[in-house]
Amino acid sequence: MLNIQELGKDYGDFSALRSVSLQAYGGEIFGLLGANGAGKTTLLRLLSTLLSPSRGTATVAGYDIRTQAQQVRRMIGLVSGGMGLSDRLTGRETLQYFGALHGLRPAQTAQRIDILTMQLGLEQVLDERAGGFSTGMKQKVVVARALIHDPPVIFLDEATSGLDVLARRQLLDLALNLRAPDRLIVYSTHVMSEVEELCDRVAVISGGEVVQTGTVQALIADTGTGNLERAFFEMLRRQQEARVSKA
Amino acid sequence: MISLWTVTRQELLSTWRDKRTLSSSILVPLLVIPLITVGLPLLMSNLIGGQKDRQQTVGVVGTLPPELRAELLGPTGHNVRLVQLEHSKAAVQSGQADAVVEVKTPLPTQAGTGQTGQLSLYYKVGNLKAESGAAGKVTAAVERYNRVLVGRKLHSLGLDDSLLTPVKLQKVDASNPAESSSGALAFIIPLFLLQFILAGATAAATDATAGERERSTFEALLATPAPRSTLLLGKLLATTLTALTAAAFSVLGLTLSAPLALLLTPAGQGAAQKATQAAFGGSLQLGLGGLGALLLTAAASALLISALLLTLSLFARSVREAQTLIAPLSLLIVLPATLLQFADFLHTSPLLYTLPLVGGMLSILDTVKGVLTTEHLLLSLSGNVLAAALLGAVAVRLFGREGVAFR
Repeated sequence: MLNIQELGKDYGDFSALRSVSLQAYGGEIFGLLGANGAGKTTLLRLLSTLLSPSRGTATVAGYDIRTQAQQVRRMIGLVSGGMGLSDRLTGRETLQYFGALHGLRPAQTAQRIDILTMQLGLEQVLDERAGGFSTGMKQKVVVARALIHDPPVIFLDEATSGLDVLARRQLLDLALNLRAPDRLIVYSTHVMSEVEELCDRVAVISGGEVVQTGTVQALIADTGTGNLERAFFEMLRRQQEARVSKA
Repeated sequence: MISLWTVTRQELLSTWRDKRTLSSSILVPLLVIPLITVGLPLLMSNLIGGQKDRQQTVGVVGTLPPELRAELLGPTGHNVRLVQLEHSKAAVQSGQADAVVEVKTPLPTQAGTGQTGQLSLYYKVGNLKAESGAAGKVTAAVERYNRVLVGRKLHSLGLDDSLLTPVKLQKVDASNPAESSSGALAFIIPLFLLQFILAGATAAATDATAGERERSTFEALLATPAPRSTLLLGKLLATTLTALTAAAFSVLGLTLSAPLALLLTPAGQGAAQKATQAAFGGSLQLGLGGLGALLLTAAASALLISALLLTLSLFARSVREAQTLIAPLSLLIVLPATLLQFADFLHTSPLLYTLPLVGGMLSILDTVKGVLTTEHLLLSLSGNVLAAALLGAVAVRLFGREGVAFR
């Protein structure tokens, strides 16, 4: 469902993403684990066709991000931690608008709103303007907006950032509930506990490169450490050593 | 297929729920235009007319002939109050008198003696209150006194007063009805219209671009399959419609001015009031054709201004930054609009009508004066629409760049 080949992104002399290759499949919650500035967001923006790659390519649900951007965008739902809403629109109006932008007919959108209302508990936010929403309520609409067209690939980029404990718990539960055989969820975060709880496989990213990919258990075993956090730092240390010896 | 209207409708919904847009697009044009075209002239005519009715103090240095004193005091004795003074200039400057007449040598009491008297009038030249009050009344009284003396001399010689005016000049207004009712200050109307278009478009354009960026809603929007050109053109259409609403309410304000003027100054309206009001364009007459031409020109100008604002706002990170970028644009309207007061002195070549914005202003002025030709209207529409298309293409290109959501 996701096939990335040597994908990279440069801004002048600075490489935000050096070269990333990985595959992820339907039915998986695939984690992207890395510190801030590691390249996770750049990778997801490339996969969402919001940025153009400097090298390499990728396919999302079978569509090439370079040549079939519009088809790719039909297949994805993107939720990013900093995303906002128009304060002057109600939750329902926002969802109806994005349904229309995804080419859904009004009846289809209404049906999807009903389903999402049950899944996310949107009753409170549907007919109120977003200006009066709490952070948690806003995030529910942001997630519903990304799922309005029932996409087979969902990108959650630091989606729990800024949320309180309750809203964060709801989002994690939602991610688990959304897991389906024909759906891929790519979950990008720097929070180890979220990866341990949610992800089937993880790619550890650092300095714009994938350091290692595998299940959480495999990463811990491979580094000979007791938990994911220690495994993460061990992987970064090895990457640093490799770079020094290469230089 | 995602329709342009889907985007436009959503932008309009969001824009019209903003109180600032409502006030800048509807309330302000609807209130400000009648206020300027009716309220200001009323205020001015009341002030000027009030001076004529009010009694001013006129100082006298020296001795006035009794007949001239009587002229100054008027038939009821309430025209001016005369006070005897020692110093002319100081009395005016201190406010002791509104004007002072100074007699250095005795003034003649009859004409034809071979003697011309010298009467000096001290007042603050250029001061509207003095000009229309004390100084005006003294000037009129001295003219009447001269006429009385000359008339008396002519009669003593067996001659008639008509000897003084063998030819009487009658001035006849040859302008068309729209031109004569548009007023000498008709050049202000294009300025009003375009400023309100700019104000209406600013709220919509900044909200649709920099506002999206500020609210972090761009990323989600651009991650949908809607083509970026559709998104941008939908925003452009919404901005233009908002600006056009402001223009429509400006035109409504203009057309309401005439009945409002009648309502506020019914039968008893004095000639001075009427003249002042007409000078400000308060009794503007627009036929259906004129109204149509005005709306068409406003629509083309709104399209151009919207395209310009959207293009500029795409460079801003926040609504505030966008407003800072846009602020100097009002000069693009104010400067040419101010020059329009000299339009009568200019040879307005047809090429001038093709100039973006300027052509529109000329067309609006011509419409108000009832002298717009179809050729000039088409030229100004083409100029504005072509420039809007070029700017729109630039905006679509800028909007297509990858960094647009993450500036």
